Amino acid sequence: MRNTMINNLTKSNKKHKKQSELQRVIKQLKKNKIAMLGLYILIVEIILAALAPYISRYGYAEMDLTACFATPSFKHFFGCDDMGRDIFSRVLYGGRYSISIGIIAVLIAVVVGICIGAVAGYFGGQVDNIFMRILDVVQAIPGMLLMIVISAVLGPGFMNTIIALSVSTIPGMARMLRAQMMKERDSEYIEAAKSINCSQFSIIFQHLLPNCISPLIVQATMGVAQTITLAAGLSFIGLGVQPPLPEWGAMLSAARSYIRQSPHLVIFPGLAIAVTVLALNLLGDGLRDALDPKLKN
Amino acid sequence: MLRYIVKRLLWMIPIILGVTILVFTMMIFCPGDPAEIILGSTAMEADLAAKRVELGLDKPYLIRLATYISDVFFHFDLGVSWITNVDIMSTIADRMPRTLILAVVTLVIAFGLGIPLGITAATHQNKWQDHVSMVLALIGVAIPNFWLALLLIILFSVKLGWLPAMGVGTGLAGIQYYILPALANCAGALANSARQTRSAMLDVIRADYITTARSKGVAERQVIIKHALKNALLPIITTMGISFGRMLGGAMIIETIFSLPGMGSYIIGAVNNRDYPIVQGGSIMLAIAFSIAMLLIDLLYAAVDPRIKAQYASSKKRKKVKAVA
Repeated sequence: MRNTMINNLTKSNKKHKKQSELQRVIKQLKKNKIAMLGLYILIVEIILAALAPYISRYGYAEMDLTACFATPSFKHFFGCDDMGRDIFSRVLYGGRYSISIGIIAVLIAVVVGICIGAVAGYFGGQVDNIFMRILDVVQAIPGMLLMIVISAVLGPGFMNTIIALSVSTIPGMARMLRAQMMKERDSEYIEAAKSINCSQFSIIFQHLLPNCISPLIVQATMGVAQTITLAAGLSFIGLGVQPPLPEWGAMLSAARSYIRQSPHLVIFPGLAIAVTVLALNLLGDGLRDALDPKLKN
Repeated sequence: MLRYIVKRLLWMIPIILGVTILVFTMMIFCPGDPAEIILGSTAMEADLAAKRVELGLDKPYLIRLATYISDVFFHFDLGVSWITNVDIMSTIADRMPRTLILAVVTLVIAFGLGIPLGITAATHQNKWQDHVSMVLALIGVAIPNFWLALLLIILFSVKLGWLPAMGVGTGLAGIQYYILPALANCAGALANSARQTRSAMLDVIRADYITTARSKGVAERQVIIKHALKNALLPIITTMGISFGRMLGGAMIIETIFSLPGMGSYIIGAVNNRDYPIVQGGSIMLAIAFSIAMLLIDLLYAAVDPRIKAQYASSKKRKKVKAVA
């Protein structure tokens, strides 16, 4: 009877503690008005992109040859491009491509980065050495260049852009997790887990990873921002998402030829990128402050 | 110190070799038949076959790789362009300086403005100077450099007509062609360096030795520059390394926009023309330039922080120090 009571007590205690950690982060984040502003902007953007067909009056490929190069007006909020396509609609639809490329590419990079970083950081020694030397080589190529080479090999397209972006994001993620793992792996709780014969898999993924993940979360948030910019850059030079798909970078690339007559073609897609990246950076800054154990008290 | 430099230089050899193998292997999977790209789609089958033998495409992968490595590292020969038949190494020798000038000018502008901005923000923490510079920094991080480039062209070339939007010039007048590209490329690094400087300065500014310096009556300016900034420099230099890599990458797009004949526009143009030897050789040379820049930054580290320098002092000296201690 007493035993079960104690058991229950420790269980509820444990549960309570676990919740409070997450709650603390959320509470801390909620206090940070600037970070919340970033979060709200992002939510609004994602809703706008998701509901694009219901919000915009025109399709993203719908041409109106009487309205070529139309300047912003009530009929076309952001004006029209060289083929008379409504830029407002295209920016909304473009959000679908740009934001999803950013998120998917970073997710892939995080998963692969965790696997490499965890194995290298936990086992150390020769395994670590091999992985790190490979990363050294990959990182000796500047990120943008690596992406261009990968896109040259794979060819342009939505999925290939994602692959190119995630490959060049992986080394940073893996290194960060490795450093955290090395810091944590000699802790007492890991020794305890080893002494009760936990499997290596569960030590790495159940015990170590949750304690190493917070810098990775911040890095991933900032990473999405950077990836959106890089994806736009790749599309801008014609290697990423291809026109007529309304990716923001591709739109800028097409608008470049008309920069002298119609600068408004250039303004709005770029503004969309800048606002998204700004919002993600604000959120990332807030997350860093909320997750930073140094500022806990 | 010399030992450290030599060690680092030797360490670059396997890295560059690795980069060469990696790039070479990736380029094999490029779409398209090289012989057809060179001779055009109307070429006869016999000519195509002869071209493949000439290029060595009939040999196994390892032999081609070995030939390429020996060409690159022992004969400094990157081959010729498939499209124009021009020697790649000499073209790169022509173009690389422009890319490096752009990167260095960008770096100087970014850190020349970013560090003072960060210091102002840190010394006026939570006052308007701090808020203004951090908002500027946030915007600078968020703006994609190629968009900024287009905006700068609209403003300074199209509307005001002050600066040229494309090309290169010779002599002193040539500088004007680098102004807009450098401005466009530096925003991100400027913002990053300002943010990093601010947080590094805030870390050290409350240290005891700063209080000591102030209580000794050292002028505030001296305290900030000599005592605080000197100790805050390490994380700032780290940012510099990261920024340099991004700048080399970012410069590739910027060069294309401004039609600046550097490495970036060379490689991107080659990708679009499927001129793969240029992509291969250009990537390797850029990786070498990048590695050397990283080495220089590591040396800067040692120059700034005597603790790091001491680590790499020759063992003789270290023994001497120990004996004295």
